[in-house]
Amino acid sequence: MNPIRLSRKPRRVVLLLAVVASLGMGGCASNRLYQWGDYEDNLYAAYKDTTKSEALRLKLEAHIQAMEKAGQKVAPGLYAEVGTLYLQAGQRKTAMGWYQRERAAWPESTQLMTSMIQNLERLEAAK
Amino acid sequence: MTRPLQSGFARRLLQISLLGLAFFMVGCATQAPRDMSAFERAKPRSILVVPVVNRSLDVAAPNYVLSTLSVPVAEKGYYVFPVNTTKVVLEQEGLYEGDKIHEQPPAQLAKLFGADAVLYVRINQWDAKYAVLTTVVTVDFDYWMTGKDGEVLWKERKRMQYQPNNNNAGVSPMAQLLTQVISAAVARAAPNYMPLTRQANEEVFILGPSAIPDGPYRMKAAQK
Repeated sequence: MNPIRLSRKPRRVVLLLAVVASLGMGGCASNRLYQWGDYEDNLYAAYKDTTKSEALRLKLEAHIQAMEKAGQKVAPGLYAEVGTLYLQAGQRKTAMGWYQRERAAWPESTQLMTSMIQNLERLEAAK
Repeated sequence: MTRPLQSGFARRLLQISLLGLAFFMVGCATQAPRDMSAFERAKPRSILVVPVVNRSLDVAAPNYVLSTLSVPVAEKGYYVFPVNTTKVVLEQEGLYEGDKIHEQPPAQLAKLFGADAVLYVRINQWDAKYAVLTTVVTVDFDYWMTGKDGEVLWKERKRMQYQPNNNNAGVSPMAQLLTQVISAAVARAAPNYMPLTRQANEEVFILGPSAIPDGPYRMKAAQK
């Protein structure tokens, strides 16, 4: 019944979970194709609280910069996600630049990126 | 007069449930690898993950689930279209709800994005059931993929449950009781669906008998 024991318990559980999780991930960590820089968690946070979408963009940009600096391939979709966050913030030209980078990195994205860029060019021209 | 009928009914019920149990156990014992011929014929390189359909009562669940799908599929070696960009593009086309999107012809969606395949997910269950001392968190998803022509390439259903706490050997019963109350309260305040969802995805796409074949980028990495 002493309170210390009770407060320790959840911590021990968390620790155990962390160990199990790291063991589980150990299997695939070496086997990973990409680094994602907490993309999932940050996207989840931005869906949970829309005021966090700028934080998502900043974290993605920092991650991409780190990957490029290290000469590593940036995971599929990340350049475009940054572009879309700029688009939603009303910055079309910056968005286009990111869509171009997605297209250059991933040929599978060509059709979508090209049509998005063309759309934005049309909108910019009509301004 | 009614008694034999009742017992007959009861016996039949027992038989049926035993049969059901037997089927269930067979299902567990022999997890034969799935027929992947449709998938292998289509040989997709790129997969469009569209917003999720919700059959649960939690309106936030589809977005949460959406955020967990890119990584496992991309790590399998496919180009995965950026899920948030996809969602925004569909919204600009007037498609806001997962239901509306899932009603679109799959071939048309694939064509709109230039994707080789489309991945759909439906949330069947996403809830936490509270008893006095324990909480059971359940997620249940249907997953399926269609090809360029709208044909179904692959499908799977996954149900996962998580019950926090228990097994406090060596702790006094009173302390144990309190711990359970606390952990039930914690789960009630913030049921932890996300690890469960990630685990479901991992089993479906990577570990389980239904795991999709390795995509082109995974194969390329293996050749190195």
